[in-house]
Amino acid sequence: MVKFGIEFVPKEAYWKTVYYAMQSEKRGFDNLWITDHYNNRNVYTTLAATAIYTKKIVLGPGVTNPFLINPIMTAQSLASLDEMAPGRVVLGMGAGDKTTLASTGIEAKKQLSAVVDAIAIFKAMLEGKSVTYEGNVFQVKGTRFNFKPRGQIPVYIGAQGPKMLATAGKIGDGVLINASHPKDIDYAVGQIKSGVTEAGKNMSDVDVTAYTSFSVHKKPEKAMQAASPVVAFIVAGSPNVILERHGIDLAKANKIRGALAKGDFGTAFGSVSPKMMEAFCIAGTPDMCNEKISRLLKAGITQFVVGSPVGPNVRNSIDLISEQVIPHFKQ
Amino acid sequence: MSYKKIVEMIPVEKREKLSDKLLNYLLKSKKEKKMPSSMAKCFLSQWQTGGFDDEAGLAVLLEATALLELDKTAEFLEQDLQLADVAKALKEVA
Repeated sequence: MVKFGIEFVPKEAYWKTVYYAMQSEKRGFDNLWITDHYNNRNVYTTLAATAIYTKKIVLGPGVTNPFLINPIMTAQSLASLDEMAPGRVVLGMGAGDKTTLASTGIEAKKQLSAVVDAIAIFKAMLEGKSVTYEGNVFQVKGTRFNFKPRGQIPVYIGAQGPKMLATAGKIGDGVLINASHPKDIDYAVGQIKSGVTEAGKNMSDVDVTAYTSFSVHKKPEKAMQAASPVVAFIVAGSPNVILERHGIDLAKANKIRGALAKGDFGTAFGSVSPKMMEAFCIAGTPDMCNEKISRLLKAGITQFVVGSPVGPNVRNSIDLISEQVIPHFKQ
Repeated sequence: MSYKKIVEMIPVEKREKLSDKLLNYLLKSKKEKKMPSSMAKCFLSQWQTGGFDDEAGLAVLLEATALLELDKTAEFLEQDLQLADVAKALKEVA
């Protein structure tokens, strides 16, 4: 049965994010993903507070990256969190956003190798033994914790490009695909399968997760309006090959990129076309959203993540999803 | 007067509507810095153990919104719920 996850960006006071996390648990969500960006509240502080106030929802960073947070520290953070929320902690690891990393003075080189190294170190550290590892990007020598981690923690890999998707299938317990359209999921599942096959695994060993931009409201225009700023940023950050896959006019995409770069949000958000909305988000009434989620399920996902903005009123939208979306797939 | 006493002044049939509105005020408030750490923990503990529809929950919610959004809360009590006496009591205790 499909799992439902929800993503929160900890950009507000911690008690608001924790409130929404608790609401999500009460309303039937299975997974909680907290984003990790240096310019928001800290992901592990938020997760620790959430762990205290929840009892069954599975939680983790979605996603962290090895360039800003060394994999040893990621292992330490999640091993500690696993003591607070035993057996319900997962890791979401990706290569990070190059532009954001550049602003911190970090050059994200050899992204694929960095993620592979980071996960190898992460898993080895959780064994609780002394770790020596010589990777292409990360090396550790005789590193060990002064405490015994509870055990292994499932690893999800945030992936979009073909090599990262295949690697995720090969070494991950799950894949977080930043996509909301069946075309992108179809493509991703094909790549993941190649990695799964190479590793001698089955697709059922991998939790194929659509990490979507989502907005629901009883009035579709309100749902769309809430989603259009997020879609503008997705369009601006998407490689042209993905825009072309959806038949999006590159000139229109460049107009949005230019407007965002100048801080002209009115022009940027106003330039989001219906085709862009269709490609990069799931927005509308519960019935409209259910139809689109069904298409993603047919494409092969096993977890659906409700990502930003969730809806024009997050609290009301969580209730609406609980009443009219989750039951549609779980009953 | 305590917040619990103020809640007792509110007719039972109006409490659910008030609770819903106060949660929106709180979660959409930009005055997050006005929320004391102890109140934030009290708010989350109440949500964890009981919610905000009963007297104890509504008292916590009223106290929190009185700290962050007193004017909006009082206006809603007075104009939408027609509870001028409750609004007055809230302003006095806040």
